[in-house]
Amino acid sequence: MKIGMLMLRHAPAHRSSVTRDVIRLLTEWDAQVDVIYPEEQLVTLSHVRPEYDLYVLKSRTDMALGLAGALHAAGAAMLNPYPVSALLRDRITTTRHLQAADIPTPETYVTAHPERLTPLLDEGPIAVKPHRGSGARGVHVVWDADELDDIPTNQGPILAQRLVERAGHARKIYCVGGQLFGVRKVWPARTHEEKVGEAFTITPKLRDIALRCGRAFGIDVYGLDIIGTDENPFVVDVQSFPNFKGVPDAALRLADYIYHACQRVVNGLPVLPGPEKEVRS
Amino acid sequence: MRAVVFGPGQIGCGFAGQLLHDSGYEIVFVARNPVIVNHLNRLGHYRVRLTGRGGVRDMTVDGIRAILSSEPRKVAEEVARADVVTTSVGCNNLLAIAPLVAEGLSRRVSPVNVFAFENLGNADSCLKNFVAGSLGDDPAAARHGFSGALVSRIVARRTGDPAQDEPLVFVGDTPSTFIVDGRTLRDPIPQITGMKVTDNYTAWLQRKLFTFSAGHATAAYLGYLKGYHYVHAAVRDPEIRQAVMDAMLEGQKGLAACYGPEIAGNENDLTEIMSRFENAALNDSLERVGRDPLRKLGHEDRLVGPALLARQAGIRPEKLALAVAAAMFFCNRADPSANQLLGQIRAVGPAQALSDVSGLDPQRTIAQIVISAWCRLSEGWQQGNPLLNLEHFFWA
Repeated sequence: MKIGMLMLRHAPAHRSSVTRDVIRLLTEWDAQVDVIYPEEQLVTLSHVRPEYDLYVLKSRTDMALGLAGALHAAGAAMLNPYPVSALLRDRITTTRHLQAADIPTPETYVTAHPERLTPLLDEGPIAVKPHRGSGARGVHVVWDADELDDIPTNQGPILAQRLVERAGHARKIYCVGGQLFGVRKVWPARTHEEKVGEAFTITPKLRDIALRCGRAFGIDVYGLDIIGTDENPFVVDVQSFPNFKGVPDAALRLADYIYHACQRVVNGLPVLPGPEKEVRS
Repeated sequence: MRAVVFGPGQIGCGFAGQLLHDSGYEIVFVARNPVIVNHLNRLGHYRVRLTGRGGVRDMTVDGIRAILSSEPRKVAEEVARADVVTTSVGCNNLLAIAPLVAEGLSRRVSPVNVFAFENLGNADSCLKNFVAGSLGDDPAAARHGFSGALVSRIVARRTGDPAQDEPLVFVGDTPSTFIVDGRTLRDPIPQITGMKVTDNYTAWLQRKLFTFSAGHATAAYLGYLKGYHYVHAAVRDPEIRQAVMDAMLEGQKGLAACYGPEIAGNENDLTEIMSRFENAALNDSLERVGRDPLRKLGHEDRLVGPALLARQAGIRPEKLALAVAAAMFFCNRADPSANQLLGQIRAVGPAQALSDVSGLDPQRTIAQIVISAWCRLSEGWQQGNPLLNLEHFFWA
């Protein structure tokens, strides 16, 4: 069983301990796990061939996505497929996909010029986001037209969403192989404890939304950012293979799932199992 | 020497066949599936891969033949000439093969021993009764030995595609002994590598069921609730690991009170069992280990049986009861037994379903512990959501 992890090299102190533990567990279970740092390679594109039973695309850099795309074209099996990972880097496409799947999102606008957002402010504040990326980086909450001057204009189109109250915390839902885990975090998180957050039980409504997100993109290892209330939730971001901070036993669960997915590939089955029928207890 | 093995599955090939081959027997497998029969006859061999702390050992079992169970005359001829007959067909299929065994035995002059490598406490008497039933007035069954065979090895899977002419490979761990019931054997007793004859078969059967099998099932049902796929992953979860160890300890204490320390074993034995559960090379899936919960929740089987024995010894079997409750949430849609159990729970409620399946009186302490755990688990349960915490029963 050979697994290639496409990762971005971090200083040792910054490397996600979840990923480190996943690799340790898989290795203990006799899987050969090699970490591949795309930024440190000179890739001869015509020579790119799948060398592992399964690839895991952890890094979301341009170089990692480029290499993942080349591997995808060469028929590599990838836990989080390249086309979806690439799509999810683009907030415009992601949001439109969510809307097309009837998944609730805040009212969303796209423009190349921040000043065009001015009329929206008459109805309240907006969150302005660069079209590429995820998480809080580059996100501005804008209350007044003056603040639009601070929005960078050299990073392509921008996306604006009607600000929905977060009630002091952000909620994330992580999915590992169809299993959902809710984590509540202070937003913006500063300390380690705040970043880890605390588990919460997912309501049936959130569960339905989260599973439909996975089906909409054809992935089953992902994270969602949820805002709003239990009764009126909105999805504002989807990440392929996020950090899973705050998920109990995250490394063990991920290692078990990756091992299972790789076993499926080795046995000639697709990475993702077919849809399951629900059984009621 | 000739051996007839009914059922070329994981135990038939991955355990019985290998030991018989090592002991110098020429083996004839009896199978239902013509693809497997043709494949074994064409290749004449298969492989057994044993994995453990010492690494991986591959063995070839060659010189084998196979015949179809739909050819009763051929099967009877082979049984009539055999020096030993074994079955590993699953206890639900014993009735189906009994006429084949019976026809072969009725043709014999000399006695032969039939070993049932089935995961069933009374497999020997079941098979003997089925065979006797097939024979009618012929008392042939009484001339032959019938014994269960307690298998020590986990044979978790088979690889190799017969349609592609790939050799079948049976992957298991290294233990290579089995125990048979000396009181029911007939001379000549076959000489088979790893065979141990005991006059205390029931005690050894319970030792296996109430420690190893109890731990295996506990890992499977709790692991499934917490969303894992494999035994080796489930027992890395600290809560499950502790629960598995505690469940085995509850079983062991019951055994000690009933049979004494020699049969019960000690904590080192449980640690050794745990290390076998950690063996990732087996790829032992929780769905495989947990399958057929209706049978595994039987009155004398691996969870309720040790719980009853522990209770007799004054032990409150909390973790065995928790495993029983977890088994009642085993929602593997591919498992008809699991679906039937869930249907029963829906239809008559958990207490009555438990009583029907396990024969546990709802008023008894064990049933009350199980139902209490079931009720706590059912709060917050949603299909597909994993359990996060065994102490507070907190669901994702």
